[in-house]
Amino acid sequence: MRYAEWCIAAPSLEADIAAAAMGLDDIGHSRVLYGSLRELGTPDGIDESSYANVPYLDKPWTDWAQFVAANAVLDSAFTLMIEALANGNVEVLRSRLKKMLQEEHYHFLHGRSWMRETKAASAIDEAWRESVEWIGPEGADVDELHQEGRLAFHVRELRSLLEQRVGSAAPPADIDWARWDRVRRRTTPGGIDQATLEMLQGLAEKRYMPSA
Amino acid sequence: MAYSRVHAHVREYDVFARKARVEPLRQVGSVVAPDDDLAMAYARATYDEERWVEMMIVPRDAVIRLWAPGESES
Repeated sequence: MRYAEWCIAAPSLEADIAAAAMGLDDIGHSRVLYGSLRELGTPDGIDESSYANVPYLDKPWTDWAQFVAANAVLDSAFTLMIEALANGNVEVLRSRLKKMLQEEHYHFLHGRSWMRETKAASAIDEAWRESVEWIGPEGADVDELHQEGRLAFHVRELRSLLEQRVGSAAPPADIDWARWDRVRRRTTPGGIDQATLEMLQGLAEKRYMPSA
Repeated sequence: MAYSRVHAHVREYDVFARKARVEPLRQVGSVVAPDDDLAMAYARATYDEERWVEMMIVPRDAVIRLWAPGESES
């Protein structure tokens, strides 16, 4: 959704098109992931508190630098987790996530190139911090799933792979893990803004197409 | 070039693709980008509407032209 908001606002027409294409990719990816969850026996969320997004996606981005940081850092963190699942021992995911990784490679190239061109240091620091929070603390759920073989990487590996991919060390971040929400994978409260929420739930469309 | 407002230095790349192994590659378009990474991302985002089995990009300045339309071969 946040990528899509930039499909007429990026610095060039090519970047507009790329933003739209990456947004479409990610909608496809979420459909595959939700479908897989259902197959694996996890019921769909029922209310807005079930949107477990990182704080970075709570509000629309106001600066291209925020897009670039999300694209280069957060998207890479999500991709690494998908890689960990695709190389884990859950058969449904092993077979289904390969195409996703091919598409995500282009998101990574896009983010990496723009990161070289854009002064996005503070946005990148924020994206880094939220990526680390999203991956979670050592010795918790991700490390347990790794021990069971369902994830191919544990927390430390995910962090160091992310450093390799982004091409910089994670900035020092003082994360208060006591406040970490295990389901929503963040330490700060809050959620998606109302307007975006209504779009996600189809309420915005209904307003323009009232039923007879 | 309008594009240089965004990036100080850019290269033009031609995009080639084919739908089947038996087909020859054909030029499907071009992209302008500051580096190979972004050129690949743009080529894929802009020209992926067909089911290509192969896609490649070539920096236009790497192409050696022997002759152009209207010029004689020798």
